[in-house]
Amino acid sequence: MSTLKVENLSKQFGDVTALEDVSFEIEDEFAVLLGESGSGKSTLLRCINGLTEPTEGTIALDEKEITGSRTDVGMIFQQHNLVDGVSAYLNALTGSLNRVSMLRSLLQWQSREDKLRALEALETVGLLEESHQRVSQMSGGQQQRVGIARALVQDPRLLLADEPVASLDPSSAETVMGYLRKAAKEHDVTALVSLHQVNIAAHFGDRFIGLRDGQKLFEVEREDLSPELIDDLYGSVETVGLADQEETVEGVIAESDGNDNVEREIKI
Amino acid sequence: MSAPPSRDNAIAEYLGYAEIGDSPAEHKLQEMKRRKTRRRLWTLVGIVAAYVLFYSSLLLIEFNLTELAGQLDQFYEALLGYFPPTTYFGIPFIDVAQYVNFIIEENLILTIENGQIVWGAMFVTLAVAFAGTVLGLPLALFFGVMSSERVVPYPFNFAFRATMSLIRAIPGLVWFLILIPLAGVTPFTGALAIMVDTTGYLGRLFTDELEEIEDGPIEGIRSTGASRSQIVSFGMLSQVVRQFIAWIAFDLEHNVRAAIGLGIIGAGGLGLELYIQRQTFHYTEMMACIILIFLLAGSVELISQRVRSALREDDTVEKSGILEAFVNAPRNILASTMGRRGQ
Repeated sequence: MSTLKVENLSKQFGDVTALEDVSFEIEDEFAVLLGESGSGKSTLLRCINGLTEPTEGTIALDEKEITGSRTDVGMIFQQHNLVDGVSAYLNALTGSLNRVSMLRSLLQWQSREDKLRALEALETVGLLEESHQRVSQMSGGQQQRVGIARALVQDPRLLLADEPVASLDPSSAETVMGYLRKAAKEHDVTALVSLHQVNIAAHFGDRFIGLRDGQKLFEVEREDLSPELIDDLYGSVETVGLADQEETVEGVIAESDGNDNVEREIKI
Repeated sequence: MSAPPSRDNAIAEYLGYAEIGDSPAEHKLQEMKRRKTRRRLWTLVGIVAAYVLFYSSLLLIEFNLTELAGQLDQFYEALLGYFPPTTYFGIPFIDVAQYVNFIIEENLILTIENGQIVWGAMFVTLAVAFAGTVLGLPLALFFGVMSSERVVPYPFNFAFRATMSLIRAIPGLVWFLILIPLAGVTPFTGALAIMVDTTGYLGRLFTDELEEIEDGPIEGIRSTGASRSQIVSFGMLSQVVRQFIAWIAFDLEHNVRAAIGLGIIGAGGLGLELYIQRQTFHYTEMMACIILIFLLAGSVELISQRVRSALREDDTVEKSGILEAFVNAPRNILASTMGRRGQ
């Protein structure tokens, strides 16, 4: 049970305006962020997660303002961002890092509770049997599910996902989205997921926020998501239009390119 | 057709300085001949200069063929010392028993006295290398990590980089000489020299490895709300653990070879034994030491390479065969002694 409130959020990278005066509020829903590459989806998510400082505006989770990375906001990345060389279990366990001291985490002396939580999270995403395997030996879809598990171990109130299925084939994409939705429901967390694939979005989302050139274009409930809105968002690109359910597959296949070319600053 | 050229003209034409021919092709031919003439003149100057240098060098080192010839008998005797001949069942062969006797007598490997193990020179060398590596490891890790731009921001990480460069600029052999006042001409000082050397080299290898890590996992760990030191260990170091272990194995291999060189200048072990035997003209004993050195360096190299290739499944570590490892041993010992890292 949590509320994410974004107010007048703006972000500039030098001369480039990535986000301009974006405001919205989501409460206990599975919200989907739509928009072209470069429309500001990643920047918005990174601001909410605290990986990027916004230029202006505020972000509040349950009335409390968010600054910096915090544990009750879980993030799932397009490129998984897992540690390849170690097991799925140890990756999931890194979700509990903020709860243990440096020394204990180095020696893997997390509490039994945290260890079980990591395994349970892997169970939620259907990977309990594979949890001892090295992440580098897993398929893209499985790796993304480990990413979901890691976010769950943080015990978050808000789950963010930045194009979690952009680099996956349609079938794995559907599986991963299914697990993501299930995880959000089981753990009772609000989720905000950016997606390229309009049809997947329409299938899984409760609420839809459309971004274009850094500005919010629309914010609608599932029943109000119309083909016209989508056309507005993407211009008149034929293959991304909100197709009838029978035509979905083509739509999904056509839209699976990847990266937002948002400037990435990695600092620790 | 013009008149047949005179003799002078023929030479000038050959050298490219004759004024003949009208067509562009003929002009070009003459021009190229001139170039060739100039090139030959420069070559001649070079040869003369090299000869002068060579001759002065010979004078300086008092090179003397007559002395060489006079010493041949002595060298032949030394050769008989290096490889003492004997016959097995009437077939002439090297008297291996003499090596073995000396190795046992001088306890070069190890013996057991009254239930206690007495470690020989070979293990002293190994210990100098191993202790030096382990002592240097935390320092290498510290300097390696602190030199990374991702951990310490730009101008400041250079303080650590510069320290390692300075260490590497001085060969391990010289570090030993520098550190003698600290702990004497002992294996202890040898281990300290190797510790310093390891800090510079292994640290640098660590830094290089850290340059190649990916940002994704770092960001992933950061997003969980982990502390700074946790981000460094889980986001960065966890990506390179296997590579680090592989480099440690490589460095240990290098340090064993370096320890042999250090031994010769006083750090004990096989190197020192070799030096003593040479000074006392015990050629057979000298060769016994050299054989042990081959065996030690070769086996450590083999083990290290196997460990490394097992750790870096995807990376290609050059694997040498058993024979190759031992054949390459002398060259590698020399390289390591001089502070270069070869495989």
